[in-house]
Amino acid sequence: MNVPIRMLGVASTIFWVFLVAFVALAAYSVKDLSVDFGEPEFSVTPEGELNLALPLYVDNKGYYSLKEFHLSTVFSDSEGTELSRSNTFVPVIPHGENVTIMHNLTLDPVSLLERGEQYLFHDNDLNVSFTAGLNFAEVLPAEISANFTFPWGAPFYNFEVGEPSFELVDFTHATASVPVSFENHAVFDLAGSIRMELYDSEDSLLTESQTVLYVQQQSAYEGNMEFNIPLSLASMSSLSTAQSGHLDVYFDIGVAQYGPLVIPYG
Amino acid sequence: MAEQQKKRKNIVKDISFRVAKATVKAVLVYMLYFFLSPMLAPLFEMIPGFMESIEAFIIVYIVLMILGDITAKTIFQHFFNTARALYFMGYLLLSMGDGVFSTSYESFSLTVNLTMFYAIAATLSLLGLARTILQAINFMHERAEAAIDMQL
Repeated sequence: MNVPIRMLGVASTIFWVFLVAFVALAAYSVKDLSVDFGEPEFSVTPEGELNLALPLYVDNKGYYSLKEFHLSTVFSDSEGTELSRSNTFVPVIPHGENVTIMHNLTLDPVSLLERGEQYLFHDNDLNVSFTAGLNFAEVLPAEISANFTFPWGAPFYNFEVGEPSFELVDFTHATASVPVSFENHAVFDLAGSIRMELYDSEDSLLTESQTVLYVQQQSAYEGNMEFNIPLSLASMSSLSTAQSGHLDVYFDIGVAQYGPLVIPYG
Repeated sequence: MAEQQKKRKNIVKDISFRVAKATVKAVLVYMLYFFLSPMLAPLFEMIPGFMESIEAFIIVYIVLMILGDITAKTIFQHFFNTARALYFMGYLLLSMGDGVFSTSYESFSLTVNLTMFYAIAATLSLLGLARTILQAINFMHERAEAAIDMQL
């Protein structure tokens, strides 16, 4: 009986040595594993979606390959409604290699704007749920998750329309000027247009005007919308009714359209 | 008289050998821990209290090992060896729980599934427990055989 017991002991010791060596090397490999995030790049896709390309540099100097590396990002609004979900999967990151993984996060502004004016005119915080997982050394699946907020900058933050000022040019037409100001807090340059319809107090459309915009991110815009109001003898009286009324504003920012935003004046 | 003196000398020599053996084994186990702990440092940093827990485990394990070695060739050796195997299994069961280890720091949380490692370690510790029990049975069997031989 002594020999089987001794063999059992030897086998058990060998397995323990392998197990301890494996765990020690695996833990030691964690030290030699570095993960860095690069500078995110924003762009607009041909489909009109906002694309955030986040480069991820994984330098696996450890002793084991990393398998089934997956990265998932979920954007949700303050009420918890899911706005966007992005997944990246890398089957294997071999040991001793430096791999750059591009994690593309897409955000559809149309879906955001459909949820209300708050994303167009007010800054918000979007909730971001981030999960990264991998199978370390074949047998140790690990996952790291984090929740943080992503600041959403409104492209038409603090949008203000001033009182229209009318000027009679001659008997055939008059002009109106409406001051417009806002700040582009978005992460992208705003290239689009604003169209305004000028209505008098009797809800008759007097005229409309459109202006093309190009406002760089994090910069303010101040300008005037110029209206040309054709006059006739019958419509001469409408100029007096135009001292009050409302402006219907339509926004086109390329990736999304919104309107009308009704702003009373007078 | 000379035989008694020789017998006493043998006992002292035997005990000295056991103590030396226990000391060498204890030093080897501690050296193993000493050299492995820097390797496991990244893991220790992530789990608060893990280092202290491991240290307590190593101390109890070494004490049981020393007691087992000092009481060699007696039934107590097998008691201590079985106690050591049971202690190891108990520690493994209590510290690992369901085999899924989770820790969080600020808004980050890390989950490592150690089920596979846990299963292998539990199997090996069961093997160790079985070995100590077999050793105890074998010891009792040899003693019984010796007693029968003496009677004959």
